[in-house]
Amino acid sequence: MELFNNLILGFGVAFTPLHLLYALIGVMLGTLIGVLPGIGPVATIAMLLPITFNLSPTAALIMLAGIYYGAQYGGSTTAILVNIPGESSSVVTCLDGYQMARQGRAGPALAIAALGSFFAGCVATLIIAVAAPPLAEVALKFGPAEYFSLMVFGLVAATVLAHGSLIKAIAMVVWGLLLGIIGTDVNSGVLRFTFGVPELSDGIGFAIVAMGMFGTAEIIGNLDLKDEREVFTSKVTHLYPTLDDIKQAWAPVFRGTALGSMLGILPGGGALLASFGAYTLEKKVSRHPERFGKGAIEGVAGPESANNAGAQTSFIPMLTLGIPSNAVMALMIGALMIQGIAPGPQVMNEKPQLFWGLIASMWIGNAMLVILNLPLIGMWVKLLTVPYRFLYPSILVFMSIGVFSLSNNAFDVLIMAIFGVLGYICVKLECEPAPMILGFILGPLMEENLRRAMLLSRGDPTVFVTKPISAGFIIAATILLVIVALPAIRKKREEVFVEEG
Amino acid sequence: MKIKNPKDFWAGLMFLAFGVFFAVYGAIHYQMGTAVRMGPAYFPTMLGGLLTVLGAVVLAQSLATGDGEKLKLPFNIVDLAIVVAIYVAGGYAAQFAGISSDWVIVGATAVICVLAIRYRPDARALVLISAACLFYGYLMKPLGLVGATAALVFVSAYGGHEFKWKEVIILYVILMFFSWAVFVKGLTLPFPIWPEAFG
Repeated sequence: MELFNNLILGFGVAFTPLHLLYALIGVMLGTLIGVLPGIGPVATIAMLLPITFNLSPTAALIMLAGIYYGAQYGGSTTAILVNIPGESSSVVTCLDGYQMARQGRAGPALAIAALGSFFAGCVATLIIAVAAPPLAEVALKFGPAEYFSLMVFGLVAATVLAHGSLIKAIAMVVWGLLLGIIGTDVNSGVLRFTFGVPELSDGIGFAIVAMGMFGTAEIIGNLDLKDEREVFTSKVTHLYPTLDDIKQAWAPVFRGTALGSMLGILPGGGALLASFGAYTLEKKVSRHPERFGKGAIEGVAGPESANNAGAQTSFIPMLTLGIPSNAVMALMIGALMIQGIAPGPQVMNEKPQLFWGLIASMWIGNAMLVILNLPLIGMWVKLLTVPYRFLYPSILVFMSIGVFSLSNNAFDVLIMAIFGVLGYICVKLECEPAPMILGFILGPLMEENLRRAMLLSRGDPTVFVTKPISAGFIIAATILLVIVALPAIRKKREEVFVEEG
Repeated sequence: MKIKNPKDFWAGLMFLAFGVFFAVYGAIHYQMGTAVRMGPAYFPTMLGGLLTVLGAVVLAQSLATGDGEKLKLPFNIVDLAIVVAIYVAGGYAAQFAGISSDWVIVGATAVICVLAIRYRPDARALVLISAACLFYGYLMKPLGLVGATAALVFVSAYGGHEFKWKEVIILYVILMFFSWAVFVKGLTLPFPIWPEAFG
């Protein structure tokens, strides 16, 4: 019954006019940037981070969360109508969604994507409400050794799940960890790797790195390609799916939701991995796999439910352990810290209104998305016809304002530009920036916990394998690494990514 | 020796360079401490060492296997050296003449923009987009929101495929109004609006 009381508390918080307004702003913004290719939730949330300083913590998180799952809805619209993924998590939706649109069935494809996402969103909200409290309970017992091992596991999982070369992904993580510890050492007060630049003494802001690596780098990359966007707007008629469509789609929606919820919790997971996994799963279990890629409704229903479920359950590690599982969650932690709230298992008990209000707002936000988006699809499609040459200077203006307003300092903008160039080079060298970002946020945390653990164990490194929980994480991380390094599996992993990417 | 995988070769070299740098610089400048009481150098040196090893492995692999797929970057290592040299030279010149380092960054970046447009058309987007952000940051105080936004919009638009004066001017006016209404009026961010000289 405690669950009900908590949810009632949450809905009480989320249903106040102000929070409803911020949920609406969040999901609308999210859909907008989801529809627009070339700008994702990471860059958007990073941009808005300084603004959230003026809001209450609950309002800030409700809005930012809305952007993340709203983007999953918007991304599918672009994928289905234009054959361009508005978000990276909608890449697989292009395969069958666009084919459906070409067969004149854009309406049902959009409707199934939205309804599947809504169902997934409801289930994922419930999962968070049920799973988070016991997890936080466990997390309260974690000492520094457990936290360190958990982070090792998280980073290993993130590299295993990244595209491309495993060893390069690990190197990116390590590099991120190193960049993360630039600034003042909390233990000794020594300025590390600041090279006499006073602006570096507080370290490099995470939002700035995210905007450079995911914002400007992306724009430069897009401008390298020729603009070849063609909007498929032959008319979105009869939106509602037939009874046949629903018969075919309900099972994939269930499977996608289940798989997405699981993959979302994993570090490095979230929406992107969930959608890829769901598409592969649907193809495997289908009796007619040859229909995939030719407009199979299962190929839309599964991944679209999965990415929404994954987007939401990726909040679980952030809310209960205070550890981000992807770049968006890292920014959420940043938003909490701006408000003076230390993320971790204690948030749930100390700030129940924030915690349950956020969870309840996710359900409300999902409902808003379904109600608003189906009628508004025409408007989103119009937006797509805005040429990129108008969009990218606008995005740059907003990013630069966001960065500059962090501390009214031109140096921050310089750092963003540098990371933009770096991000561009990394993409060219086929090094994934996502693991690096995760390492960057975890760097100082890992060092701190390593130090404390070693101090408590009097310099005995075996503490990480003698404590049971910690040993569990280390063993899991090792198994993951070994499995992926095995030649047979490595080949399979490459195949999977080739097939999906 | 032949490089079989140029992308991995350069990636490995990059990791190796950063790894060695962090490990050596950290070990020289900061205290190592012991495993029980770790000094500020302990963690970075460890990680720097790890990154060095990983970089070396990637590098070695790139010489052994690969499909030889070419790396397509719009600039080469000499260009990179020239860019660094321009900033360093600008820094020394400014110290000598007593100009603030902000103007050096703006000036040197402008020079690099001109060079890129003239000699490296493929790097145009890379250079101009990055430069546009820089100009915005460094021109905000002297030129205000009006000047900084103009620099950003016009330079970044020039970095794209098509540049039509009329369109870009309209875009500038819209973005300028939006920035002013939302950020200065709405969110009360303390940005100067007009150039210092007019204030």
